[in-house]
Amino acid sequence: PVLPDGWAGTNNFKASGTLSAPNQRNLEPVGPHFLAHARRKRHKRTFSEDDRI
Amino acid sequence: MSGEEEVPPRVAIGISFGNSNSSIAYTTGEGKAEVIANEEGDRQIPSILSYVEGEEFQGTQAKSQLVRNSANTVAYFRDFLGQDFKSIDPTPCHQSAHPKEHETTIAFSIRDSESETPSTVTVSEITTRHLRRLKTSASDFLGKPVTAAVITVPTNCTDAQKEALKIAAAAADLEVLQFINEPTAAVLAYDARPESELSDKITVVADLGGTRSDVAVIASRGGMYSILATAHDYNLGGSQLDQVLMDHFAKEFLKKNKSAGDPRENDRSLAKLKLESEAVKKALSLGASANFSVESLAGGIDYTATVNRSRYELLANKVFASFTRLITGVVEKAGLDVLDIDEIVCSGGTSHTPKIANNLRAAFPESITIYAPATNTSSLNPSELAARGAAIQASLIQEFEKEDVEQSTHPMVTVTPHLRNAIGVLLISGDESKGKFKTILEAETPVPVRRTVHVTTPREGGDVLVKLCEGLREIKVTKPEPKPKAEKADEDDEDDDDDDDEDEETREKVWKVSKPLAEAAVKGVKKGGKIEVQVNVSADLEVVVIAREVGGKNEGVRGVLSKPDVVENGKA
Repeated sequence: PVLPDGWAGTNNFKASGTLSAPNQRNLEPVGPHFLAHARRKRHKRTFSEDDRI
Repeated sequence: MSGEEEVPPRVAIGISFGNSNSSIAYTTGEGKAEVIANEEGDRQIPSILSYVEGEEFQGTQAKSQLVRNSANTVAYFRDFLGQDFKSIDPTPCHQSAHPKEHETTIAFSIRDSESETPSTVTVSEITTRHLRRLKTSASDFLGKPVTAAVITVPTNCTDAQKEALKIAAAAADLEVLQFINEPTAAVLAYDARPESELSDKITVVADLGGTRSDVAVIASRGGMYSILATAHDYNLGGSQLDQVLMDHFAKEFLKKNKSAGDPRENDRSLAKLKLESEAVKKALSLGASANFSVESLAGGIDYTATVNRSRYELLANKVFASFTRLITGVVEKAGLDVLDIDEIVCSGGTSHTPKIANNLRAAFPESITIYAPATNTSSLNPSELAARGAAIQASLIQEFEKEDVEQSTHPMVTVTPHLRNAIGVLLISGDESKGKFKTILEAETPVPVRRTVHVTTPREGGDVLVKLCEGLREIKVTKPEPKPKAEKADEDDEDDDDDDDEDEETREKVWKVSKPLAEAAVKGVKKGGKIEVQVNVSADLEVVVIAREVGGKNEGVRGVLSKPDVVENGKA
C-alpha cells in the first residue's frame, strides 16, 4: 500500500503488536532441514552465524 | 563413543518392519533410495517365519507354509513386541502359531529344531531372527556387511516397544541408529526426490496396511515436519478386503458344490482360500479381472472362478468407505478443513487399490495432489515409501556419532514452539478489511525461522508502506440456492449470497487479518519495483523485520518486535 501522509515512526518503523502465543509441538527428527535445525540449536547459533560456517 | 579404537565405517540401511511385510532399502552413491529385493526377488518380504524339520524359512516361502504347517509358522508378530500379553489382540494369528504368555513377555510354541518337542520362542527372539535374515539379504546385495539401520515404527509406538525392538535388533548385531515414524518416512521419501521442491504444505499420510491402518496429518514447513494429528484403526486393512473376497468365493463354491462343506470351516481350506484371495486382490489392483484357482479347496474339489474389478468394488464398498472415513476423520481431528490439505500420500500395500484413491479424489477438493498409483502417474510405489524414507535418513546420519544422534533427537531439541497464526503482509490496501493478505510464514511453522519474500508495490512506486500482520484462515461458504446434498458447511460464516453463481455451494479458503504487528515505510521505490521483506522469528518469538527495495540502493528498514510478555502455553 501507499504510505499515507503524516505517517510517522522511528527509523521508518512502527511496531504495533507481538505474536500470539505459540503451540508447543514436537518436530519429527528426520530430514536434512531438521538436522540443520538441531545443529543450530545445540550450538546455539543463529541463522547468519550458521550461514558463515 | 568417541573412543580411540578404530571403528570401521558403518553400513546403514533403512528397514520398514511391518506386521505383514518388511522391506529393506539403501541409498545409492548418487543419493537415490532403492529398495532391495531379497534372494527370492521379493521387495515386500512377508514378516513370517516357518520351521520344517528344523529348517528355517522366511518370507514368501514361510507364507506358503501357512497351509500345511500353520502350527510352526509365526506371523503378525510386530505389534506384540514390548507388549503385555493382556494388551495384545491375537486375532491375526488364528491361522498360524498362537501367541501365549511367557513370563513378562509373549512367546510362541513351535518346533524350530529337529526334536519332536516344541520349544518356546519369545517374540523378541522371533524378531531377532527376522531382522537377521533381512540384514543378511541386504549384506549379500550390497556386498559388505550391514551394521546399522534406521527402522520405521508407527506413530503410537511406545518407548517400551522401541526399547524391545532395539534389544532384538542388537541381538541380530544390528545397531539401531534411529527410530522414525512411518508417515514421516513416507513424506521424506517424496521430498527427497530430485524433482520435488521445498514448500510449506500440509500432507495427510494414509498408511493402509494388512492388519491395521494409520493416518497422520503432517505440517511440512521449510523441510521440517510436525505431526498435527494421528488416527489408528486396528480393524481396518487389506485383510478386511481379503475377507470380502474369501466370503464371495466361499459362497460361490458352496453354490456349485453343495455337499463339499464350507471351505471357511476347515483350517487348511481356509488358509488356501486366504492366500488365493489375497493374490486375487493384488491382481485386481492391476487388472480389470482376475482368476481364482485353488486345487482341492474343500472336500477334494478343485475350484476356479473369475471376478472382475467392478464386482469386487461393489462387494468391498463398505470397507472402502471406512478408509475414506478414517482419513477425513483425522483431518477434522487436526482442526483443519479438507481445503487446508495440500497433498495426500497413500502408503502401505493396500494403497495399490485403485478404488481407495478414487474415493479420496471424490472426498477432497480437485486441487489436492493424491499420491497413489491410480491417481498420479508420478507417484512412488506405496509399499516402498517407509523403507525408502528410512534409507534416506540412514544415509544422512550414518556418519554421526551415536551421541550426536541421541542429542539431536532429544525432546530438548524436538519440542519447539510453532506459530499459532500465519504471518504475512497486506497488499493493495492498508485497510485491514479490504487488503489482500500475502502469507510469509504459515501457521504451525516451527521457530526459530527466517523467511524472505518479494512483494509487489503500487504500480506508480513512490513511498510504500509495508504492513505486517497475523492472519487467520477462514472457510468462506458461498451458496446460490439451498441444496440439500451440499457438502458439509462447518463454518457459520454467512457471507452475502452470490445470486448469479449457479453452481453448487462453493467453499474457499480466505484470509482474515487478526492482528496488526508492525508497519514499515520504504521510501522512494522505483516504478514497478519490488520490496523484499525478511522476517526473522527467534525461538522466544522476537521478530526482526527487514524491508528493502529489490536492487535498491537504500539500506532498507529494520525493526524489532519484542517478544510477547506472557506465554500462556505452560511449558514454554
